[in-house]
Amino acid sequence: MPEKAAAFTYRGEVTKEAALRFISHLDYSALIERAICRAKLPVAYSEGFNPHMKLSFASALALGVTSDCEYMEFILSKDLCQPEVFERLSAQLPDGVTLKALKKVEGKHKALMSLADEARYIISFSAEGQEKEWAQAVQAFNNAEVCIYQRVTPKKTREIDIKQYVIGQLEIKTENNMIELTAALKITPQGSVKPAEIVEYISKTHGLNNNISDVDIRRTELLAGGGNLMDAH
Amino acid sequence: MVHLTSDILQSVVKPARYTGSEWNAVHKELDGITCRFALSMPDVYEVGMSNLGLKILYEILNNRHDTWAERVYAPWIDMEEHMRNKNIPLFSLESFTEMKEFDFIGFSLQFEMCFTTVLNMLDLSGVSIWAKDRKEDDPFIIGGGPCVYNVEPVADFFDLFVIGEAEEALQELVDVFASWKKEGRPDGRIGFLKRAAQVHGIYVPCLYTPEYSKTGMYTGIKPVDDKTPAVIYKRIIQNMDDVETMEKPIVPYIDIVHNRIMLELFRGCSRGCRFCQAGVAYRPVRERSEKKLRELARKMIDSTGYDEISLTSLSSADYSCLGGLVDNLMCDFSNEKVGFTLPSLRIDSFSIDLADKMQQIRKSGLTFAPEAGTQRMRDVINKGVTEEDLLAATGAAFKKGWKTVKLYFMIGLPTETDEDVIGIAKLAKKVVDHYKEVTGRRGVKVTISVSCFVPKAFTAFQWFGQNTLEEFARKQQLIKEHITDRSIHYNYHDAHVSLLEGVLARGDRRLAPVIYSAWKNGSRFDGWTDQFDLERWNKAFEENNIDPNYYNHRSRDFDEVFPWEHTTPGVSRAFLKHEYEKAVAEQLTKDCRRGDCTGCGICQTLGVNIVDWGRNRA
Repeated sequence: MPEKAAAFTYRGEVTKEAALRFISHLDYSALIERAICRAKLPVAYSEGFNPHMKLSFASALALGVTSDCEYMEFILSKDLCQPEVFERLSAQLPDGVTLKALKKVEGKHKALMSLADEARYIISFSAEGQEKEWAQAVQAFNNAEVCIYQRVTPKKTREIDIKQYVIGQLEIKTENNMIELTAALKITPQGSVKPAEIVEYISKTHGLNNNISDVDIRRTELLAGGGNLMDAH
Repeated sequence: MVHLTSDILQSVVKPARYTGSEWNAVHKELDGITCRFALSMPDVYEVGMSNLGLKILYEILNNRHDTWAERVYAPWIDMEEHMRNKNIPLFSLESFTEMKEFDFIGFSLQFEMCFTTVLNMLDLSGVSIWAKDRKEDDPFIIGGGPCVYNVEPVADFFDLFVIGEAEEALQELVDVFASWKKEGRPDGRIGFLKRAAQVHGIYVPCLYTPEYSKTGMYTGIKPVDDKTPAVIYKRIIQNMDDVETMEKPIVPYIDIVHNRIMLELFRGCSRGCRFCQAGVAYRPVRERSEKKLRELARKMIDSTGYDEISLTSLSSADYSCLGGLVDNLMCDFSNEKVGFTLPSLRIDSFSIDLADKMQQIRKSGLTFAPEAGTQRMRDVINKGVTEEDLLAATGAAFKKGWKTVKLYFMIGLPTETDEDVIGIAKLAKKVVDHYKEVTGRRGVKVTISVSCFVPKAFTAFQWFGQNTLEEFARKQQLIKEHITDRSIHYNYHDAHVSLLEGVLARGDRRLAPVIYSAWKNGSRFDGWTDQFDLERWNKAFEENNIDPNYYNHRSRDFDEVFPWEHTTPGVSRAFLKHEYEKAVAEQLTKDCRRGDCTGCGICQTLGVNIVDWGRNRA
């Protein structure tokens, strides 16, 4: 039997900041790959005709959304110590990505993708004098059992109940003419809801000015069973 | 500073075209910057970001402490609509500064069909379209790239042009600008332009007046005074090892046309194909040494994290020690996942062996350019390739497992007969049959791509009248009728675009109002098939009472003076005429790279030499 190649899994917490919010998930993954190449880390590749780097992410982020906490895993063929990997990779990350934490994962664990089950977001935008209306609309949304949203994709349009993915209540704060919503959303194998869809749903169903020009959506937490993904397995 | 709101970015295709901040993009403090230079390509981000010349200039200009070069490309239709509706001016991708605040906006002019996009970008920048209307504090609009070898149709839109290779000329120009600015801008805009005209290789069109005869024939161009050079010769880099070049290319976040490292092996190609303008424009051949190339490859891999290097040149397989170079590069990067590609394959089995070695895993299609269907026609254009060469090369490829081959051809060449045209279909069939002979199987795919010949300035065929629409259409049909095998896939180009290119490629300053009208009628992105609209151009010719046939279909007399002759690659007119005569007589001219001088006059006129490591070693 051939000897199995040595494999050491590293899990990292990284950001996707404003400068990169319009980079797709796939392109974001590619930029991390290039950073790993520049860092000259002994990264492992898949076998086969088209080898690709063994790098995976917990959950894709929608285009236009920033994040304080993306989680990724990559496999090295050498057992390098955490500070070395951390420093070498950090030095090669472009503006808009910060490596916040890194650890070597020991023992068996599930794929990152199947671990994440909850995402929390802060959504902020200018209220344009409709603070009260927004407060009422959010309350109505919180009280509703079901909220049917028309999801339009280039391929098809379908109706989904977005309320099933909302954990607890949407919270609303208004300050200096700005509205800030806080949402906790379920990630399930069957799907989830995008925060932008919730904003669109509420503004449409309540006739609020739906041409809000500058919506900022930030993912603040990504959790597994209520705990930090760095420690999940 | 321009700020694009998220609703705009969410609603356009590929928003990362407009958001910048890529790896290796250069950001500077404005303190101490004398010259702000916008480098532009009149096309979308993915095309502009793939241009080697702009990448080189970006790095060279940014190596200067007094200069900040930034990038700007043409916004796609969707973004343009937002910008026009919301009065957002065109901006740079580094600092999001609006174009009007730059000292220079440089456009790389790769082909004639980009001209209306230049006008559109100037308009989006809030800069006057016509050079004569520009105000004292407007940016200087500068052009470069292959179109400078007949730049007259757009001369009135530009303040200046760099003729030839810009690595050194542009630096000298910035020096002139810096001292003019430091002295308090003496004599204003024209004061700078007059100084710039003294830099070798810089053409300032407003200092020249074209003249025409009573019958409307161009008779020559007059410089404003005797200090202004009557002829502007191209600039050329003699030593490709010593010249400053690209070491840290920008790594885009989205996929672009050439999303890999471009390692430029050499400049120039002296095979002497008679239709080819690049062959004349970039002469003589100047190679980089293997040592320098390996050093550059290492630097660029380390600075980018790319996993692919393209060995770029007009004809890469002609690099004198390519086999050794490829072996050594593969060895240098054997512990990294770095792949190598050859963008241009010569029609021989050496090229196939190399391609096979380099693409050990993926067998993507191979592309060859026999250019013409019969030996007679290939002799006319001096394409030194025989049918046996093509069959040997494709045969070698089939043996190694390739199943798809793409062949490039042209129709509408001088002296062409129907037999030559039908020869294209026949040659494709021979390749199909050869596959069966070599492999004993079916299942090959041979794609033939046939374009319409556009005669270009400074080539042996610059006197030749382009075929008419009817002729092109008939020949396209003729090929179709003679394709008998279902393994052959046939593509041909829209002749209308080629005919318009034919007008602009040999036009004069009287075409500027036509280009302006075409843009006013809505033209931009004319190089994009889905955006090109012939009606806008037809109307533009009518509005200005200009007959396009005068420029493309007319055969020119050997003694006719041409409007492009004052911005020259240095080739002798007598040589080109002699080549035309040899073409008609079906005589070949050898490559001067390792053989005797063929007398094109470029080396002597410009005082440069061929640099070929194979020849120097021999």
